[in-house]
Amino acid sequence: MRIGIDVGGTFTDVVATTSERGLVFVKTSSTPDDPSRGVIEGLHLLAAELGLSFEALLQDLEMLVHGTTVATNILVERNGARVGLLTTAGFGDLLVMREGTKARRYSLRDPFPEPLVAKELRKEVRERLRADGSVETALDLEDLDRAIAELKDAGVDAVAICFLHAHRNSGHERLALERIEQSGWPVYVSMASELLAKEGEYDRLSTAVVNAYVGPGFSRYLRRLSDRLAADGATAPILVMQSNGGVLPIAEAGRRAVGAVTSGPAGGARAAALFARSMNLENVVSYDTGGTSSDVCVVEGHVPIESPSKTMSDLKIAVSAIEINPVGLGGGSIACLDPAGILTIGPQSAGATPGPAAFGRGGNRATLTDANVVLGCIAPGSFLGGRLKIAPALAHAAIEREIAAPLQIGVEEAAFAIQQLAVSKISEGIRLATVRRGADPRDFALMCFGGAGGLHADAVARELEIPKAIVPRQASVLSALGFLATEVRHDFSRSLGRPLDRISPGGLREIFGELVNEGREALLRDGFSGERQVMRLTVECRYRRQVDSIDVPLTQEELEGDGPALLQERFTDLYRGLFHHSHDEPGFIDSCRLAALGRIPALTLPVVETSSAVPYGSRRLYLDEWIDCPAYWFDDLGSGAVFEGPGLVDSDSTTVLVLPGSRATVEPNGSLVITRGGV
Amino acid sequence: MAIPSPADDVDPLTLAVVQHKLRAIAEEMVETMARTCFSPILNQSRDFSSVVMDGQARTLAQAERVPIHMGAMPFAIEKMAAAFEGSLRPGDMLIANDPYAGGSHLPDVTMAMPVFDGGAVRFWVGLRAHQGDIGGISPGSYSPAATEIWHEGLRIPPMKLIEEGALRADLLQLLALNSRKGDDLKGDIQAQIAAVRSGAERVAGLIARYGAEASARCAAAVLDSGEAHMLRFLRACRPGHYAGISHLEGEGDEPLIPISASIDLSPERIIVDLRDCPDQMASFLNSPIANTRAAVIVALLYLSDDEGMLNDGATRPLEILTRPGSIVDPREPGPVAACTSLTASAIIEAVLKAMADACPQAAIAGFARRFRFALAGAHAGGEPFIWHFFFNRGGAGANASHEGWPNLGGIHNPGGTPSPSIERTEASYPLVVEEYALREGSGGAGRRRGGEGGVIRIRYEGEGGATIATSGDGVRVPPYGLAGGADGQGHAYWIERADGSRIPLGPRESGAELGPGDRIVCHAAGGGGYGSPE
Repeated sequence: MRIGIDVGGTFTDVVATTSERGLVFVKTSSTPDDPSRGVIEGLHLLAAELGLSFEALLQDLEMLVHGTTVATNILVERNGARVGLLTTAGFGDLLVMREGTKARRYSLRDPFPEPLVAKELRKEVRERLRADGSVETALDLEDLDRAIAELKDAGVDAVAICFLHAHRNSGHERLALERIEQSGWPVYVSMASELLAKEGEYDRLSTAVVNAYVGPGFSRYLRRLSDRLAADGATAPILVMQSNGGVLPIAEAGRRAVGAVTSGPAGGARAAALFARSMNLENVVSYDTGGTSSDVCVVEGHVPIESPSKTMSDLKIAVSAIEINPVGLGGGSIACLDPAGILTIGPQSAGATPGPAAFGRGGNRATLTDANVVLGCIAPGSFLGGRLKIAPALAHAAIEREIAAPLQIGVEEAAFAIQQLAVSKISEGIRLATVRRGADPRDFALMCFGGAGGLHADAVARELEIPKAIVPRQASVLSALGFLATEVRHDFSRSLGRPLDRISPGGLREIFGELVNEGREALLRDGFSGERQVMRLTVECRYRRQVDSIDVPLTQEELEGDGPALLQERFTDLYRGLFHHSHDEPGFIDSCRLAALGRIPALTLPVVETSSAVPYGSRRLYLDEWIDCPAYWFDDLGSGAVFEGPGLVDSDSTTVLVLPGSRATVEPNGSLVITRGGV
Repeated sequence: MAIPSPADDVDPLTLAVVQHKLRAIAEEMVETMARTCFSPILNQSRDFSSVVMDGQARTLAQAERVPIHMGAMPFAIEKMAAAFEGSLRPGDMLIANDPYAGGSHLPDVTMAMPVFDGGAVRFWVGLRAHQGDIGGISPGSYSPAATEIWHEGLRIPPMKLIEEGALRADLLQLLALNSRKGDDLKGDIQAQIAAVRSGAERVAGLIARYGAEASARCAAAVLDSGEAHMLRFLRACRPGHYAGISHLEGEGDEPLIPISASIDLSPERIIVDLRDCPDQMASFLNSPIANTRAAVIVALLYLSDDEGMLNDGATRPLEILTRPGSIVDPREPGPVAACTSLTASAIIEAVLKAMADACPQAAIAGFARRFRFALAGAHAGGEPFIWHFFFNRGGAGANASHEGWPNLGGIHNPGGTPSPSIERTEASYPLVVEEYALREGSGGAGRRRGGEGGVIRIRYEGEGGATIATSGDGVRVPPYGLAGGADGQGHAYWIERADGSRIPLGPRESGAELGPGDRIVCHAAGGGGYGSPE
């Protein structure tokens, strides 16, 4: 049995693959004070659901994949380790100087994001490498030892090491690491060139510092969890979800804590890719609407698009991460009127507390959820499977007071306007995400998950002229499900910095040969050998005068021929596809990258039984006028069930609205597919 | 039923959706440009912006990556519309850059397309992009030595680049021929065409969906909203008469050039009077009226921090008074290249200083000025190179609630272009960065300190000598402190010879020489402090 566990802010979701019952899900409340408790509780619940003892469950366990917000929260709440820094003399302030940029250009009164390492803990050490990796000034060991001793005296919990040009020659960084180890100081060490072997001192520094800041706390958490499980007899490997959509064994995950910081949306994106593959869809754009925002993610050829860095909580994190295009719109987004009386929605959100007015927790602002309650889209009794009682009168009052009365329109009209504006916002966000890829949204299928997504999926698809909208049945535990559709992944890279016409086929083969060897070793350590090892080769290419590079894929077989020539051709093609022009000059290789993947047996989505579509009842629904709308239980809709809109599909995590003129069909894997009528 | 039906009257739903879509269209144009622009400098710095306008060339929505582009385009598009009144056809796309026909400086090339319905122009979409080189006496088209506009490059009056869908290849060739980077310019103009077209198509889609009349009514309502946002800001200010003065540095030891703004502010109106500014000069500091207007608007935006003011309705309560023939409203043939950075900064500062007492809670102390240079040298082996200095932008001013940010840069474009990587610089040029650190104590003291500037020491290791051309400001005029806060330290740049001797670098030098082993040392200005130090 394989188990995926996703610890979110509110719920801990557990998904298990079992031989007898296929996929089994359970859900429990998260325990933010010690999230590992929620994990254990979730596993107990799962054991009960399967009729097994806890010990028997752990014995059956082959693999546990865990995704958690622990690392993210440490960073966002700024309660991480006391970090010391060892860096090249003359460059101790780089962390504070940042890149000289600011996201909100007109807001000149924002507070400066405090650096994660205080000035007195940033230690400069005499050493200097040149751009080609040669040593200009050897590492001054006296200087180094003094700096280490000072950091030790200062009582830091973690040390980040980042020297200039160490991506070319990590000798000095390694030496610093060795001296720390030789001193017998068991401190958490974060070595920049190991996390990221790529040109760009600020990227490596910021990443190493974030890793040092988050690492000790995250490692402690992971240890606590594995100790608990081991105490109960578990011997199966525990794997931790990474921002790149892969997983790492627990010990390495602790050392590379930074990889977990932006891992939040990775599970959902992997799940989207899983469904795309299962339904044979080449290109999918997914959106996940939560309480405050919607994450838009593009999946091309069953692989989620990655970006080389992210900014979280004002800090740059330069590790590969699945690219998320955030849209400031969620169920809790607040609708209000601007000074001229024009309706706007978001990005302010009522969040979880007080939440929408309809939650009855003291919120009195009109939110998207309130609008959906007023419109009859959300059934008061069954929201979140009945776990949360909805007070329609409060939603009504909030929209009346905030929107309808000032505009002198009916409450339904106001609610409808809020809903349509929300649809427009999500649609434009999705359009931008595809336009950025040089693509047309109409060439994609739309996939939607998250509690607040299903109500708008059909409308968003229509707005974008996307022919097909898909709502997976497992929407509520999709992220945990995605955990089981991943693979162990180790990333390696070599900085090259050379034009394509100045590297020989043999030279390129040699670089990747070394990377592949490193990859094989890492996978062997994790127990993956032979066919279970998959090597994904990528070359980061750009034109010489550009800053950003694009990823050009390559296979090992292709390296046997004229690799550079092939790369040049492929780079030009990809560049043209993205930017509609190319330059008459050779491409320039920034670096060679390898993702060494340890393949985990593919997850097959269960096939649901066939049935026809029979509504369990109907609800009054406002779609520009009040209508009676049939309501279905998602779980009652078997494979092959078809109905024409309007229709509402309820489950205990979401409601899907199928508009008049649309047709809903249930796939063998249980997903609801909405198409224009008559298709 | 469920989908909003194309309505004939402006209902709140249509209005809300249209307003949002106008913004999204502007964003999409900028994204298209970012994705397709050709020259590396443009796709790095994103020095471009887009607008969607109504039929009278009033900005409804815009997406800008450089604040000084804010509010700068209406004049340009008005002039275009006027130039082709009666002869505009669907499918036409216009181009212009002339500072004396609504432009800012020559590298900023504006392209725009009218969107027709029923034979009338209902909307405009436009995009302005900074070209890497538009000709003139110096590469990059910035020269302190220019004394007239023709020294700065090619002037393009409003012209049809595309006539009813057909590109005038001969015109494009003419433009390319007048740039040192003709291929880049051609590529960037092609990208601009793609972006403007995408915007026009989407606006046409909007009209098709909601109808021309309803769309026009939405546009009017959007402008009303901008005005309401501005009025809300004005009402939060103390009414009164205020004055602020800032200074530009003249050449060498010439006296400072005062830029003074006096402001009459009531809850309904704000009049910014710049008529006391001195006569125009035979120097690239002149700021054409469109740029001056943009600078005033951006200053007010910094104070309000309200994106609802990002349309032309916001300028209804605003009146800007200038004296034709002055440095902030020059007549041709005054050169203007530095207007978007140096002069814009001084105008913004004068307005911010004047407004400091009108809205003390929003007041912002002085930011470092721009001080750039280009280094022309040769690699070992003799291949020549030109390197542009983009490090070290200097500190930001403090405000009533926070310290200034370190190393953020000029008020005309704070936190815009990212600093280059030291490693990339050393890998690509015969330069070694020996130190890159905060300049301690450079931020002005105060209850809130100004942000610190940076220090950078760069050793030149090329073959033979190199020359430095500087273009900047802020050596003699440090970032101002406010409300009792101290000024920040001004810029101090110099060349340090291998023998240790120092030669100061002025902000407008054209041929300072550098030998192998010499160093360029730059101490960037710190931001002004806010409030008396306790």
